[in-house]
Amino acid sequence: MTVPKTVLAALLPALFLIVPSPARGAAGEWSTNPQSRVRLISPWQVAPRNGELILGLHFLLSPGWHVYWKNSGDAGFPPAATFQPAEILGTPEILWPTPRRFQLPGDLVAFGYENEVVYPVRAEIKPGAALPVPAQTSGETSDAEAPPADVLHITADLDYLVCQVDCVPFRYTLTLDQPLGDAPEGDPATAPLVQTWVDRLPRIAREIPGVRTGAVLDASRQGGPDLEIRVLGVQAQAGRTDLFLEPHETFDAGRPRMRAVADGLVFHVPVRAREAGKPLPAKTSIAWTISNLKAKDGKPFDLEARREVPVWTQGGAAPDPMREPAAGGAADRFPRRLLQAFLGGALMNLAPTVLALLVAAVFSLRLPGTGPRGLRENAAAAVTGVVGGCWAIAGLALLGRRAGLAADWPSLLQEPAVGALLAIAAALLALNLWGLLEFPLPSAGAARAGTGRHLLAGLATVPLALAWPVPLLQEPIGFAFARGPAAACAVFAMVGFGLALPYLLLTLAPGVARRLPVPGAWLPRLREGLGFLAGGGTLWLLYALSRRVSPEGLAWIELALLGMSLLAWLRSREGARPAARFVFVLGLAACAAGALWLADRNRLAPRPATVQQPMTSNTIQGG
Amino acid sequence: MRSKGKIFSSLAILALAALPALADGVVGAAAPAFTLKGLDGKNHSLADYKGKVVVLEWINPNCPVSNRHAREKTMTELVKQHGEVVWLGINSTSPSSGDFMKPAEHLAYNQKYGITYPVLYDESGQVGHAYGARTTPHMFIVAPDGKLAYNGAIDDDPPGRKAMNARLNYVGRGLDAEKGGKSPDPASTKPYGCSVKYQ
Repeated sequence: MTVPKTVLAALLPALFLIVPSPARGAAGEWSTNPQSRVRLISPWQVAPRNGELILGLHFLLSPGWHVYWKNSGDAGFPPAATFQPAEILGTPEILWPTPRRFQLPGDLVAFGYENEVVYPVRAEIKPGAALPVPAQTSGETSDAEAPPADVLHITADLDYLVCQVDCVPFRYTLTLDQPLGDAPEGDPATAPLVQTWVDRLPRIAREIPGVRTGAVLDASRQGGPDLEIRVLGVQAQAGRTDLFLEPHETFDAGRPRMRAVADGLVFHVPVRAREAGKPLPAKTSIAWTISNLKAKDGKPFDLEARREVPVWTQGGAAPDPMREPAAGGAADRFPRRLLQAFLGGALMNLAPTVLALLVAAVFSLRLPGTGPRGLRENAAAAVTGVVGGCWAIAGLALLGRRAGLAADWPSLLQEPAVGALLAIAAALLALNLWGLLEFPLPSAGAARAGTGRHLLAGLATVPLALAWPVPLLQEPIGFAFARGPAAACAVFAMVGFGLALPYLLLTLAPGVARRLPVPGAWLPRLREGLGFLAGGGTLWLLYALSRRVSPEGLAWIELALLGMSLLAWLRSREGARPAARFVFVLGLAACAAGALWLADRNRLAPRPATVQQPMTSNTIQGG
Repeated sequence: MRSKGKIFSSLAILALAALPALADGVVGAAAPAFTLKGLDGKNHSLADYKGKVVVLEWINPNCPVSNRHAREKTMTELVKQHGEVVWLGINSTSPSSGDFMKPAEHLAYNQKYGITYPVLYDESGQVGHAYGARTTPHMFIVAPDGKLAYNGAIDDDPPGRKAMNARLNYVGRGLDAEKGGKSPDPASTKPYGCSVKYQ
């Protein structure tokens, strides 16, 4: 039996007063040596049963000692850990806060952390993993009223090297008993600590509005190869800004030199090929982190970027590192991105809800009395609606980015309210196809009767399609936002044309349009059948939502959808009075709003902006 | 002993100064020449071993990572397996460093861990810098033609978490390649361990 969330929330504080266990809940026990202390921590007193689980490797270091970043520099090595149970946690990933530079004798350098560091660790409790059976606390804590919080026994086999000038390696098995439950609760001590270090993860450059970075490796210079890294839209923090490169398989890097330019900073790093006489690649993947930057609004931040960097061997002036965020070949890649956008858009037609709407809409194009020309006009209206919808989404995204919102569409889909909104949209479509809910569509502005309806059908396709992100679209959309509004306009237009491909064919190929059957008695049956496809899509979206809201919350949302269906059915009955119909519509809207509110209220992960609570993937941009 | 060490260090500097400027530790470039005095009291010059495969191991008994490999016999087992190669340990620890080990103590250390190959003192760090040695251990393979054939780590397991037979020993693999007339692959890796305790 599941205890209601409110009861659970009330019981939790009492539970943690009654059951003080040093390795239980938010922090494991310290492993201590003269140079350092380390423990495994969690921001959760009670963590969600599935989905992302953030842990932390918390180090306290004696004065003068340091541990390492993912590139340790000239010496040392970064900490490595193996987490168990792997069958539940998978392979957790250690994330790397921005390091600082340590100068060692012999002009050697190391990159790492002194005094204190928490390496955030990103794990994910696999869906369907066999979680531990509800734990019975020991005899002294045999509180019959204790909530049935399962406990996940987590171990981390950790190896690390701690150095001053001398180094000492250590190996520990850290443990943490992490309670799991349906009502997640952050820990007031460790959640802010983990959040502090999550905030010190560098931000991905492409997600920072107004900031661009790029690089070129000039291997033609007399004095040896030079890696030039530019970052625009930033200022340096005097004496604090630094550049850190990740290890590279072909090149060793020297000490960077920095200078300010009109709109940002330029770093020059002397590099050396490790092998003489080996042909250099035309381009090579290089990753860098820049610390202590200042945005134009004065806010400090660190950034990280990984680019395919062109290697210039031809003499003369090296290409501009900012030609394209992916560095090099931007112009010739643009057509490919447009093609990807078109194909990705076309693929979205296969999403269940989109397919249902598409088939219903296409067969409704040829209404009685509509000739081939009218049919083509209707199809063109639908194309206009789809492309317009895509542009509207692009415009909203550009405005959001300008306002400082870096969230991309996959991240937004993780938001419970967005997931619920998409499920509601799919459910409304199903109700519409079943004939229970007609959307009143305006005819104003339409060239001829019915065209406006097809325009809006095209528009409605876009949000339904966005519920099903197509991987093929990630690259062109990332490219579009990196290049600016004009590129975004072009790329989203191509997404729209891809999504409107069936309508386009009808518009451009009269032969196809002529073969379209005239709607008859079969059309309502077809629409009813398609309603089940949309219903299936709704169920899938609810399943996706089940990973982001509590089971109770999901049950309430499903009840709200059922209520919507009931009200739609009542409204559609023969003989219902206009006033009653209006009340039913109001009730339906209230149910939809309630579902959104329930999704947000019953979210498993706290809101990203909440600093005092455990974080979600939206706040973790680094690694 | 100390004054003799300084003399040989000076010799090494002279030997290096006589050579054209070389990129430090670049695989495929000529291995920097040196003459250093060993714990055995003899002078060892790279030129003495021309035509043979030479392994250079930067060593520091007071570095826990270097010491772990001594305890695990990583190097000494390789020496046994590859009797055809010349193996030289080079200690570039500065006498001003707390890690500096006097020759007598170093000899006792070698005896304790079965290190029978020559260990050379590079107190000035000149040879270490010429090769770009950064860590202990940091490994180099010099091919019979006098060119550097490998520069990097001893293996793929910095913390020593894996069983010995599960580790990819880059030097062992490189020596097998050299024996078969091929070049080591990979020819360079990122070395790990304590920093070389230069001045």
